[in-house]
Amino acid sequence: MAQALAVETHGLTKRYRTGVLAVNDLDLRVRAGEVYGFLGPNGAGKTTTLRLLSGLLHPTSGTAMVAGASPGSPASLARMGAMVETPAFYPYLSGRDNLRVVARYAGVPKSRIEPVLKLVDLTDRARHKFKTYSTGMKQRLGVAAALLKGPDLLILDEPTSGLDPQGTMEMRALIKELKQGGRTVLLSSHLLNEVELTCDRVGVIAKGKLVAEGTVDELRARSGGRTLRIRATPLEQAQRSLESLLPEQVRVIDGSLILNVDHAQAASINRRLVSEGIDVSELRVDEQSLEDVFLQLTETPTLPSPATGGGEQR
Amino acid sequence: MIASFRAETLKARKRWANWILFGILMLTLLLFGYILSYVILKHPPRNFESPVPASVLIRAVFPENLLANVLSPTSTIGAAIMIILGGLSTASEFGWLTVQTILIQKPGRAAVLLGKLANLAVITFLVSVVALGSAALTSYLLVTIDGSSSSWPPVSVLLKGFGALWLELAVWTAFGMFLGIAFRSTAAAIGGGLTYLFVLEALIGQLLRETAGIKEVLRFLPGVNASAVNASFRLTFRSPNAGTQLVDATRGWIILMIYLVLFTILAIVIFQRRDVGGS
Ligand SMILES: Nc1ncnc2c1ncn2[C@@H]1O[C@H](COP(=O)(O)OP(=O)(O)OP(=O)(O)O)[C@@H](O)[C@H]1O
Ligand SMILES: [Mg+2]
Repeated sequence: MAQALAVETHGLTKRYRTGVLAVNDLDLRVRAGEVYGFLGPNGAGKTTTLRLLSGLLHPTSGTAMVAGASPGSPASLARMGAMVETPAFYPYLSGRDNLRVVARYAGVPKSRIEPVLKLVDLTDRARHKFKTYSTGMKQRLGVAAALLKGPDLLILDEPTSGLDPQGTMEMRALIKELKQGGRTVLLSSHLLNEVELTCDRVGVIAKGKLVAEGTVDELRARSGGRTLRIRATPLEQAQRSLESLLPEQVRVIDGSLILNVDHAQAASINRRLVSEGIDVSELRVDEQSLEDVFLQLTETPTLPSPATGGGEQR
Repeated sequence: MIASFRAETLKARKRWANWILFGILMLTLLLFGYILSYVILKHPPRNFESPVPASVLIRAVFPENLLANVLSPTSTIGAAIMIILGGLSTASEFGWLTVQTILIQKPGRAAVLLGKLANLAVITFLVSVVALGSAALTSYLLVTIDGSSSSWPPVSVLLKGFGALWLELAVWTAFGMFLGIAFRSTAAAIGGGLTYLFVLEALIGQLLRETAGIKEVLRFLPGVNASAVNASFRLTFRSPNAGTQLVDATRGWIILMIYLVLFTILAIVIFQRRDVGGS
């Protein structure tokens, strides 16, 4: 197994001029040939990190190597393709002409344009102006542009955002195909099933810090693996009762009580609730979903809008 | 830089706004500067009053006065058009966020900007050639229709005049381009540039040109220096509204070249250092 690193950062930190600490002492390692999912809630610092890796932002401190060279250097850029945040193109040019412009900048022969258009299924609309494109088409043109260079490393910021189920599935298939072709893919997402389906490894970022890293299974195992899910009425009474029995182990998600306990205790817990006159309508052992793991890892006091200034660390 | 130059030419060629600006420039120059001037001066209205008779003034559109007549609108409408062109070429990239798409291709930031500059240099060159060429053709047609005789300026003067035209257009383009990068907004770049041109250079420059203290500052403004260069291409008659210049033509040439270099370097320095997609 090749253990060469496609991306490596040490203490990467970005504080915006507004004072927001968007990326905080980040150590990221993406191995060559893998699909790495960069996961985090809104405002966690995903886009900021990807901008740093593309050389669009200058880090406040820390270092990074991307595709074997420092971010933003011609050597690094030549071997990576990226789509950061939104697909940005010239509205007055057609999709094809936009790719011609990008190809000229990248020093890539024109002959690469038709194959990538075909790959993202945009050939039919390539002669239409970019400004007439739907969100999904813009997104696909963005991916096409990132692929023009035939890059070793592909950086995609939320590649499925704005895509319909069909488009999402096609995007997943494309990412798998790219991996098969030996490319490294670093993609960001706040959708868990997305990374679960496509990524070999996942890094979870919250408030600019990497809070967990590993395969999807490792992450799941790390946070207790199995849980007990209980539906009971009245809910509050049940919660109080269980909290006194198992402090710090009880959470309420979607009107259900989630307990991080050995499922062998299920019978005794049931008995206790019933003896207190609480109706138990459901009690089952849950394989903890990645969703729960994610919420647990990135848990923050609920802010009205985490995207505005939420990155500031106390 | 070659790569980014090639990309820039494609973008510039396919952009309608550029062609519209070019059209406005040519229309003003040929229609107002030549054809309408000729028609009006040929048949002056009864109340036409001027220290110089219309029959003399009309010689402005004849070949002998080619350079003076082409250069005179360069400091106003020409400057305005070129500020808009230069401003659009950089500010739009920020508005559309395409600057981000460009900078993650291969060329570094300096190369990206130098490619843009090279493209603008070519555009201003072509505009100068077409403007001077079509003006020459128009003046030839007009003098033929008129049945008068006129002679072309000597080749050395023609070349120098062409150089002045290109330099002035380039300075204003570079100014617009610099503003686009500094403000990262089309509206701010164009608004700022035109306000500077028409309020500071034209209005204050005219009103306070003899005021001590302000006069010394005016002597360093690009528009004032451009006028001095333009004035050195004299009309064959004494123009009634030819004022004295604040600086001499040689100094004008030098200051304009300094401005060209200055705007270019400033634009590159700001572009190099600034974060993209952040502030
Ligand atoms: N240009 C900027 N200037 C100041 N602060 C910024 C800027 N861009 C982002 N931020 C802040 O940095 C933090 C991280 O933002 P970032 O866009 O990296 O998050 P994200 O993980 O990509 O979020 P999302 O999932 O919503 O795309 C946020 O608090 C955001 O408000
Ligand atoms: Mg983002």
